[in-house]
Amino acid sequence: MGFEQRETTVVRAPFRERTFPVTRRSDAVLIAPQARHLATLFGFGTRRSAEIAIVVSELATNIAKHGIRGEIILQLDEDLPPRGELTVIARDIGPPIRDLALAMTDGCDDRGPIDPSLLLSRGGLGTGLGAILRLSDRFEYRDLDEGKEIRARFFR
Amino acid sequence: MSSEHSQIVIDYGRTNRVVEALSYASIDEFDRCLSILRESSEKDSFRELEMAFSIFVQELAEAKERTEAALLGNEAVNRELEAKLETIELQQAALRELSTPIIEVWNGVLCLPVVGVVDSHRSAEMTEMLLDTIFTKQARTAIVDITGIDVMDTKTADHFIKMARAVRLLGAECILSGVNPSIAQTLTHIGVDLGGVRTVRNLRDALQIHLRETEQLAAHKKHE
Repeated sequence: MGFEQRETTVVRAPFRERTFPVTRRSDAVLIAPQARHLATLFGFGTRRSAEIAIVVSELATNIAKHGIRGEIILQLDEDLPPRGELTVIARDIGPPIRDLALAMTDGCDDRGPIDPSLLLSRGGLGTGLGAILRLSDRFEYRDLDEGKEIRARFFR
Repeated sequence: MSSEHSQIVIDYGRTNRVVEALSYASIDEFDRCLSILRESSEKDSFRELEMAFSIFVQELAEAKERTEAALLGNEAVNRELEAKLETIELQQAALRELSTPIIEVWNGVLCLPVVGVVDSHRSAEMTEMLLDTIFTKQARTAIVDITGIDVMDTKTADHFIKMARAVRLLGAECILSGVNPSIAQTLTHIGVDLGGVRTVRNLRDALQIHLRETEQLAAHKKHE
């Protein structure tokens, strides 16, 4: 009964894929609200959409900070089980993350713990990757021939 | 007859003139080049060759003129593009500024309205700006209004509370206003110590607290 109801209220994807180029810090400020809006259109609730926006913002800021240049790609797939998913892909041509496990630890970058007195000047808390890990359903990282790619997946 | 067509005799003066004309062409002196090529009064095949050269040089001159005009046009377009890029840079700087506006709403009262998406970077930026502004303006109260925020990551929320405590270290009071149920849950979930950070429902209540305390302070001073 409940299952049938879900089938009839499925929200169709307004698009398959959308790409946002990222070159500067302010791009994150521009892309995140768009991502939130698109997530809502795709049927995510207010809270989830806001979480998706935070992840997009973290990823875009990372690209502008370390990645030289790159892009954020939003992929919508309504057919993926169980009820479709949204994938945020962040691709850039910057240096790879040396030690992923370390970089994902809160308060650390890929070299190790961040000195708290430097927190302000380095322009970040070192908790960005941790936040992406916490807020998304799946987190995937891979090195590319030139650069790297992070995927954060959200199940609808 | 056939020998007349296959051979002609030309004196050095004529060939030298052609060489001279072409050397003018090579330094863009097309008019002088053309006048030399055209001044001859002979009527043989070498004359035809000279005329062919002159047509060729004429066309070269025209092509060169067109290219220069196009280049000039490109430059204008480039200048326009550069001006536009500059505008975009300026707007982006404004945008960044707007993402952490700190308003002095009253003497010694700063207000930081937070709207939109707060990630770890923005949280760090806000802290830096708020602490700097409190210090430079010698503010007594900082109101951080997060009515416009739906969700925060646990670590970012944790950092926010730490920012509020840092404000106290500077001798000012930090009032957090507009906490919504979702963020309240996040904050209690991570078990952060809210000691020293006052939370109120909205900006109005926060301002009231400040005014009441300022009055009390003034009354206290009168008694002394």
